[in-house]
Amino acid sequence: MKEHDAIITVNHLNLHYGEHHALKEIEVGFARHKVTALIGPSGCGKSTLLRCLNRMNDLVENVRIEGEVRFEGTDIYAPEVDVVEIRKQIGMVFQRPNPFPKSIYENVAYGPRVHGVRDRSTLDAVVEKSLRDAALWDEVKDRLDAPAFSLSGGQQQRLCIARTLAVEPEVVLMDEPCSALDPIATAKIEALIEELKTRYTVIIVTHNMQQAARASDYTGFMYLGELVEFGDTPQVFEAPREELTERYITGRFG
Amino acid sequence: MPEITHPGTGSTRLRALKEQGVRSVWFLAASFATLTVFFILLFLLQDALPLFATVSPLEFLTGDTWNPTGAVPSYGIWPLIVGTLLVTLGAMVIAVPLGIGSAVCLAELAPPRVKAVAKPAIELLAGIPSVVYGFFGLIILTDWLRVAFDVPSGESWLAGSILLGVMALPTIISVSEDALNSVPASYREGSLALGATRWQTISRVLVPSALSGITAAVILGMGRAIGETMAVIMVTGNAAIIPDPITNLLSPIRTLTGTLGIEMGEVAVGSTHYHALFGVAVVLLLITLTVNLAALWIMKRIRAGYGTEEQGRHRLRVPGLQRKARLIVGIVLALLVLLILPLPAAAALLVLGAGAVLVHRRLSRANVQHLAFALLWASLGVVLAVLAVILGYIVVNGLPAITWEFLTQPPRDLGRAGGIFPAIVGTLYLVGGAILFALPIGIGAAVYLSEYTRGGRVTTAIRAGIDLLNGTPSIVFGLFGFTFLVIFLNFGVSLIAGMITLGLMILPTIIRTTEEALKSVPASVREGSLALGATRWQTIRRVVLPPAVPGILTGTILSIGRAAGETAPILFTAAVFSTRFLPNSLDDPVMALPYHLFILATTVPGAETQQYGTALVLLVLVVGIYAVAIALRHHSQKKIHW
Ligand SMILES: Nc1ncnc2c1ncn2[C@@H]1O[C@H](COP(=O)(O)OP(=O)(O)OP(=O)(O)O)[C@@H](O)[C@H]1O
Ligand SMILES: [Mg+2]
Repeated sequence: MKEHDAIITVNHLNLHYGEHHALKEIEVGFARHKVTALIGPSGCGKSTLLRCLNRMNDLVENVRIEGEVRFEGTDIYAPEVDVVEIRKQIGMVFQRPNPFPKSIYENVAYGPRVHGVRDRSTLDAVVEKSLRDAALWDEVKDRLDAPAFSLSGGQQQRLCIARTLAVEPEVVLMDEPCSALDPIATAKIEALIEELKTRYTVIIVTHNMQQAARASDYTGFMYLGELVEFGDTPQVFEAPREELTERYITGRFG
Repeated sequence: MPEITHPGTGSTRLRALKEQGVRSVWFLAASFATLTVFFILLFLLQDALPLFATVSPLEFLTGDTWNPTGAVPSYGIWPLIVGTLLVTLGAMVIAVPLGIGSAVCLAELAPPRVKAVAKPAIELLAGIPSVVYGFFGLIILTDWLRVAFDVPSGESWLAGSILLGVMALPTIISVSEDALNSVPASYREGSLALGATRWQTISRVLVPSALSGITAAVILGMGRAIGETMAVIMVTGNAAIIPDPITNLLSPIRTLTGTLGIEMGEVAVGSTHYHALFGVAVVLLLITLTVNLAALWIMKRIRAGYGTEEQGRHRLRVPGLQRKARLIVGIVLALLVLLILPLPAAAALLVLGAGAVLVHRRLSRANVQHLAFALLWASLGVVLAVLAVILGYIVVNGLPAITWEFLTQPPRDLGRAGGIFPAIVGTLYLVGGAILFALPIGIGAAVYLSEYTRGGRVTTAIRAGIDLLNGTPSIVFGLFGFTFLVIFLNFGVSLIAGMITLGLMILPTIIRTTEEALKSVPASVREGSLALGATRWQTIRRVVLPPAVPGILTGTILSIGRAAGETAPILFTAAVFSTRFLPNSLDDPVMALPYHLFILATTVPGAETQQYGTALVLLVLVVGIYAVAIALRHHSQKKIHW
């Protein structure tokens, strides 16, 4: 993998929550402008790995992180690195939609605003573009001033994606973005992911095998804090190298 | 199983009767609070109404002279209302930025180790008796002001506002911090994941989300400031004048509460002046009720689930309109401030504001954050420093006074010599009686509210009664105790009248903390017991109450602390300045520590050592009690994990 044009590379990454060793010697590279899926049973460390990639784990108390995560060659855990800048480049969409208690417009405009955009017409343009990219524009264009909570769950999740896109990140991390959604909303977001990969690098955690198989170019399988297998999605699903992987994707687990 | 189909038979009927009886008793206890509020209003009104035979209500409210003892008495309370509002406004100007700053600092910045020290310290600040604040203000604060501004006396609006500001801080800090802590963590993560700085996240997402809670905190703090009596009497100079010009911070001032505290003790019962004082009490009560109802209303709206999806969908909001409304409110407020302030101050404020905006735009995000965090830490630092200064002064100056004689002898020479033994004992008696009176009623009411009812109109009324009782100024309790217990029931100034008055005052605290303790027992525990065939009362007594005991105890101890430190309720109901004897019966008046300190500090020259000594003893007593409560709560929180 590492020979690929990787935008993020992870070397010897270990993470402890207190005594609990949650990530063990992770080695992986995430390819530019591709979709990478992370799969594995509950509690294996998928979210933990994802949150390491934009330093969201900094917020957790008692966490100890060793090893390297390089974004475009720079170690994002190096002391001189500005974590705010990292998160601007590497956006994140969470499992449960988490819009702010503001209007739809203000939710999307929030990112550009905090990064210093004040001009109203620029903001308007960014908001419209991001909502279009997130396939939400047509549904909300007449009520941009309505509160974000007035949207349905699937719409809220797309709003959160639009909010992330408005910052124009290089990488979009998604942690089970569809787990709270119905099949129709899920299909919309999958289509969206396909769309996004022309311009963004997408790393997605999912419990849904079909989704991983359909939507991703690469797949990593994690188990008990280790990255057991990583490869092209067709290879991982059709000819897994590890027996564990095979048992997991065929549903003969545990 | 004949009992199931024939509920008329022996034991089952008895059991049902017993359940019904228990329920009724708790219902009565719960209604007591509401009845009390009703009675208070009734008695105050009844004693206020005769006034209007002499003075018209309009004259009373808007007359600009309060001089009830003059050759031609006049009963205009306008200067008193203005005084109350000004001193409260000043207190808020001080307490709101400091309080919110500290709350944000505690909720978002402070590492656990700092929190572990700062939070109990702030709770202790809430525990310092108001007469001790007043004493500190009188002896030290007014002196600083006198020297700093080179005026003949520091007893002024400014002194009152500073002191009340400090006293409102703990309420503002703890309620705001709760509001900030209840903002979902996902908002914080969402904002940080977009590359916002911590300060941007705090100022643009977290604080706006907690805004209604913070508003409620400010209003509650305001209620505390409006209702305060003793501290205000001791530092504001008590001249019933409107400052001239209105911005003269160094002018003396007199509040509604202060008027009651000063004049009630000397007035002839039944005179016009007497009725006028009850009119003042009614006005005061109405103001505090309004303020507290506003806070309640806001809090209820938050508790109804702010930020939840269901709520948001049903709440009709038009953000565009809201923005306009906010702008208009902002402009109006700004104009008001500019109008009130003298020109140079207004100009300075404008320049400062413009400067701040400019600097804000120039600085990098990181530097703005540094600046903001520095300010937040500074506000927490100021709050803790204030606590340290007050405690430090009193401990350092009080220690030399503490001798064996001081603690075990009655006072001699108007308290200039001898000791304070009868005051210590009197305070213990008063507090003990108040607890004996309030605890059964309070626990019963809480059990009823938490275990037997799920709402409905009666419950709503009961709850409203408890909330209103909680917001009633302590001096109003004092007046009620005087007119109802001392005069109407003919108890005279006596231990029993003081006990009941203090008991009424602490009742809401006991009800609230007990109810919270009961509510923290999970429903599954109750269901488990009921499913085994236990009756409701058996379930409550055997499985619900036992784990709630630490919580109830904490509430009780806090109430003890509050009762021990209060002066206003016993001012006209129970306390005398000097007796050589301990009370022999419930009909005797008693000495009490806070009252003793008040008189020593305000009317006995040449008793400095004894003043500090009394303040120290009172402080140790009350703060000690609070410390026990805080430790207990900390301990029980750690121990029980459902
Ligand atoms: N904040 C935390 N503190 C302590 N332990 C944690 C924390 N977050 C996660 N863990 C532990 O780390 C392990 C990995 O958790 P993680 O959330 O990464 O799993 P996951 O693969 O995302 O699971 P799921 O599919 O259920 O979301 C789990 O054992 C979990 O209990
Ligand atoms: Mg997860």
